[in-house]
Amino acid sequence: MSVCVAVVGHQNNPLYIQSFTDADDALKLHHIVHCSLDVIDERVNNPKKSGPLLNETFLGLLYPADNYKVYGYLTNTKVKFILVTTDLDVRDASVRNFFRRFHSAYVDAVSNPFHVPGKKITSKTFAGRVSSIVNSFGSSTATE
Amino acid sequence: MEEFPEELRTPPVALVSLVGYNDLHASISTHLHTEQPPINTLALPDFSKISVISKNRKERTSVSLPPVGILKRDWLLKHRTKIPAVVGALFYSDHISGDPAQWLQVCTDLENLKAVIQGRNIKLVLIIVLRTSYANNISEDRMTALRKRAEVDSKYVVNLVLDDGLQLKQSLMRLGNTFAELANVYYRDEGRRVKTRIEKKSFGSIELNIRYCFKAAVYAEFRRDWVEALRLYEDAYRVLREMIGTSTRMPPIQRLVEIKYVAEQLNFKISTLQLHGGKITEAIIWFRQHNAAYSKLVGSTEVAFLHWEWLSRQFLVFAELLETSSAAAHSISSPVVSGAADKPTEWEFYPSHYYQSAAQHLMEKRSCLEFGLSMLDSSNDVDGNVDSVVSSAYVGQFAQLLEHGDAFEMRPLTDEEYSRYALSEGKRFQDSFEIIALLKKSYEAYKNMKAHRLASYCGFQMAREHYAMSEFDNAIQLFGDVANLYRQEGWVDLLWEVLGYLRECSRKLGSVQGFIEYSLEMAALPVSTIAGPRSFKDCGPAGPASLPQREVIHKEVFGLIREESGIASNKDDSTLQIGGDCSVHLEIDLVSPLRVRLQSAAISNIQPGHRVETATCLSLATNKWLRLTYDIKSEQSGKLECIYVIARIGAHFSICCRAESPASMNDLPLWKFEDRVESSPTKDRALSFSGQKATQVEEADPQVDLNLGSSGPALVGESFIVPVTVASKGHAVYSGEIKINLVDTRVGGLMSPREEEPFSADALHVELLGISGQDESQIDNDTIRKIQHSFGLITVPFLNDGDLWSFNIEIRWHRPKPVMLYVSLSYSPQSIEPAAPKVHVHKNMEIEGKTAVEINHRYMLPFRRDPLLLSTIKQVDSDQLTSLPMNETSMLIAIAKNCTEVPLQVLSMTIEVENDEMAKLCTVQEGCQELVDPALLVPAEEFKKVFTITPELNHPKFQMGTVCLRWRRKSKPGEKSDSSTTAPEVVTRYRLPDVKVELPPLVVSLECPPHAILGDPFTYFVRIKNLTELLQEIKFSLADSQSFVLCGPHSDTIFVLPKTEKILSYKLVPLVCGFQQLPRVTVTSLRYFGYKVILEKVFDLLRIQ
Repeated sequence: MSVCVAVVGHQNNPLYIQSFTDADDALKLHHIVHCSLDVIDERVNNPKKSGPLLNETFLGLLYPADNYKVYGYLTNTKVKFILVTTDLDVRDASVRNFFRRFHSAYVDAVSNPFHVPGKKITSKTFAGRVSSIVNSFGSSTATE
Repeated sequence: MEEFPEELRTPPVALVSLVGYNDLHASISTHLHTEQPPINTLALPDFSKISVISKNRKERTSVSLPPVGILKRDWLLKHRTKIPAVVGALFYSDHISGDPAQWLQVCTDLENLKAVIQGRNIKLVLIIVLRTSYANNISEDRMTALRKRAEVDSKYVVNLVLDDGLQLKQSLMRLGNTFAELANVYYRDEGRRVKTRIEKKSFGSIELNIRYCFKAAVYAEFRRDWVEALRLYEDAYRVLREMIGTSTRMPPIQRLVEIKYVAEQLNFKISTLQLHGGKITEAIIWFRQHNAAYSKLVGSTEVAFLHWEWLSRQFLVFAELLETSSAAAHSISSPVVSGAADKPTEWEFYPSHYYQSAAQHLMEKRSCLEFGLSMLDSSNDVDGNVDSVVSSAYVGQFAQLLEHGDAFEMRPLTDEEYSRYALSEGKRFQDSFEIIALLKKSYEAYKNMKAHRLASYCGFQMAREHYAMSEFDNAIQLFGDVANLYRQEGWVDLLWEVLGYLRECSRKLGSVQGFIEYSLEMAALPVSTIAGPRSFKDCGPAGPASLPQREVIHKEVFGLIREESGIASNKDDSTLQIGGDCSVHLEIDLVSPLRVRLQSAAISNIQPGHRVETATCLSLATNKWLRLTYDIKSEQSGKLECIYVIARIGAHFSICCRAESPASMNDLPLWKFEDRVESSPTKDRALSFSGQKATQVEEADPQVDLNLGSSGPALVGESFIVPVTVASKGHAVYSGEIKINLVDTRVGGLMSPREEEPFSADALHVELLGISGQDESQIDNDTIRKIQHSFGLITVPFLNDGDLWSFNIEIRWHRPKPVMLYVSLSYSPQSIEPAAPKVHVHKNMEIEGKTAVEINHRYMLPFRRDPLLLSTIKQVDSDQLTSLPMNETSMLIAIAKNCTEVPLQVLSMTIEVENDEMAKLCTVQEGCQELVDPALLVPAEEFKKVFTITPELNHPKFQMGTVCLRWRRKSKPGEKSDSSTTAPEVVTRYRLPDVKVELPPLVVSLECPPHAILGDPFTYFVRIKNLTELLQEIKFSLADSQSFVLCGPHSDTIFVLPKTEKILSYKLVPLVCGFQQLPRVTVTSLRYFGYKVILEKVFDLLRIQ
């Protein structure tokens, strides 16, 4: 299941970070998300290595950290989504699907006229949607 | 990697043994070592030592029993150092061909040897040592017998010739090849034998299966068949993996330990083979699988630390392998298709990733070890009988060594005993150093790769280790770097944690400044409240990032600042407190979240220069900006801005926030992404972030008039006067000063650059002459401080309100030129002190300098005389000088024209001859007397004066002198014409161009009365004077005139003798009244001009009465 999702802004500042874990390691997840930004930078700055993924928003597996897997996603507006999951065998397709839904939730959240672009996302609706997406992602991988 | 035995770490090298004739062993060993691949040598000095390689009989009996372990600890070492693949038996040829006793000895040795090696299938090579001289001494029979006894093919009998270097070398080569071939055969046979057992599954237990696979793999490695070896190792690994859930042979803890030890060895072998084969990606994927397969097998909780230690070692070893593998560097540059789950990601190619993981597992191990130790009842129990625990004969097994007199017995351990042993062993190591070393490697590697976030995570972990070890200085440094990154990127929770450590480190080091700084920053940190209650397991000394925690910190630090309480510090058992000689001053960092808090004050409080404005008491309300307003009396003009705001809390604490330029804050997040009520202190957002604002303080409006009066355009040459009036209209003028500047309106200077070089001050076109006052008493020497050609500085005396003071500026133009005159007055309206603020008044005026008079001239010939001037006749070039006849009186008419718009008075016009000698040679007479009254010259009118000139020297370039015109401005009709107001005289000079004076060869003059009477005859002479020494032939003709009746020669050619004159006389009777044209006589000199009529004289009119 996924244990942490994060939205990271242009200056690598966290816009939204939420962990879904009972264990008290949220801080460690923060560290993992923060470190994974290095991988995203590396991948974005060296597009050669990513080969055919020219216009691809899904960055794939960023790095395996201990018992976690970290996936990345980069929107056209250069906002980064990061997913940390404990499932060690996740299919790419389901992660892609997760990010697609997450992206649309994000778009809805920032389209709110009361949201100031570049600020942290505080919408409760967004948080609710994210947790439902995360839950469905967790159940879909659990059934596989 | 060092924990693995040498034989495991290095690729296997074939082993051969040499027996007998030990003089040669060294040279053979050396040679075999240099072979490619090298061969190790086990040298036995004589045949009696052969038993060391014999097979242990007891071992064979144990095969039927179930195995007690998977891999024997010394099996590989045995094959690397004890059991040769080939034995080379050296026999001296003399002994073979010698007497029967010697032959018998050879046979016996051979038999013994064969008995030993046959049990192990070891190959045999016979080496016959010869000297050259005895090369053929050995009989065929003996050799055949020997071969038969040894049961070796003839090609495995090698002759070594001692004496001949070349032959010895060749023999050694052959020997080497033979050894290599046979060793290969041996290892292949052995491998095949073991493999057959695997294929037939003729093993009683799964342990044997693994062991056989391992053995077969090692044999394959001996043969350098890496692919086969890798396959077999992988087989062994796979079988071992199956064993985990099934084996019941040993107590569970020790069983798992053994399996892990074996798995570790197998994994090591596999990884090494893959990495050295250049298959980096495969190796990484393999390692990932290995890690995945075993990382969950923690085992019993008491000895969980063993698992983490083991896992950490896996990572460390793999990192070291990756680092040493030469291919690793190459792989990084190779394209990696990242993102796919089954492919390794970028960082997995870097050893730093594995070092970091190793460190993390080691940390895990430490915490498990602490837990395990705490589980033990008392430490005494631990030390009971662990001393006698040793590694047993199998990999990953331990046993207790019991002494029974001389005999030793290995007793298997129970799990409990083993746990105690493991814990007591674990206690002996200091993990922190190891962890820091690992993290440091990783940290530096990440830094070099510019992966700052990964590096700072490593740095953070390192710092935490230092902190745990109470090395606070190291910790503070590392934490500080990490905190900077988090601050920049605005990761609040992470920053909170780091700051918590920093605060604690400062406290323990006794640094009040640090403690307060970090505490304030934490108290100001925009901790998110939406995430709900947070409880981080290991959230550092500051506790979880939450509002209540912030409040606690806030109270603590303000208690300290207000000197109400102290904070306990570890250092010297003292307490942190402020007061007395310990005062603290904080500067707020650019990126500190504190900054936003303190900016309100920065905006409203504008301080000029270094002035200090203070507010006596500040009380800040929650979520509200405190606005401080100051009345600032501007005493000085210029830029006014607030540089910083210092807040003082208590007697000894101050905090300072500088205003920064908005440019330097461009990319700083400044917590602007935080979600909180936006309440900027001002509407200008940039201002509220930077706090920098400058105000221009204007000076007071002047209340003094400065007037420049001027009368028309300036005339070149006159000293032009500009009257300046300073009139006070409300201000008294203290220490006033007037600056005068003359600036060329076009070029900017008063001299054209070309003229600047050859001339000095004379070449100034416009010159500031000086200052004159209307009242001379007002202008004394002290007043005029400085007058230069274009600049003047004058002191203004004290003027009371309503006073008037004036003076004149005198300017002279040397050339016509427009000029800008700037006059600026600066004064102080209040006091005489030099520092008092000044008020400035500026005035300017453009004045054009114009030429006043234009002087021209013209020459006229003498009346009714015409000297022949040769130069005028030739007319070679147009710009030749004017020619004047010598000793004849010519006339010069000088004309002066008024070019201005004002009337002028001409006082006189004279010609000044520059040279006295010249003056003697030329008589200049004025045509009329000096002017009695000045002649008025209205604009555009001309003034003419006639001068007569008689040059007395034949000179091609005669300087005529200068026309001097004295004039002045005509005062206007309304003005009084007394002496004080009359404009001063001006002299305008006009230099006459040089003339050519020449002696005329002929002079023709006409003589006739000034007037005639109608009907009355008069005589009219034409006098032709020859001034040369030559006979002149003259042709003349007369044109008739109807106004006269005339008698005389009409036309003829006559001769004029040298130095004489000829007179033509005519008698005329006028017939008509009025001005009449006299008859024209044309005189032509034939000598000079052929027959051409050149000298044509048109004579004047004559008035007939």
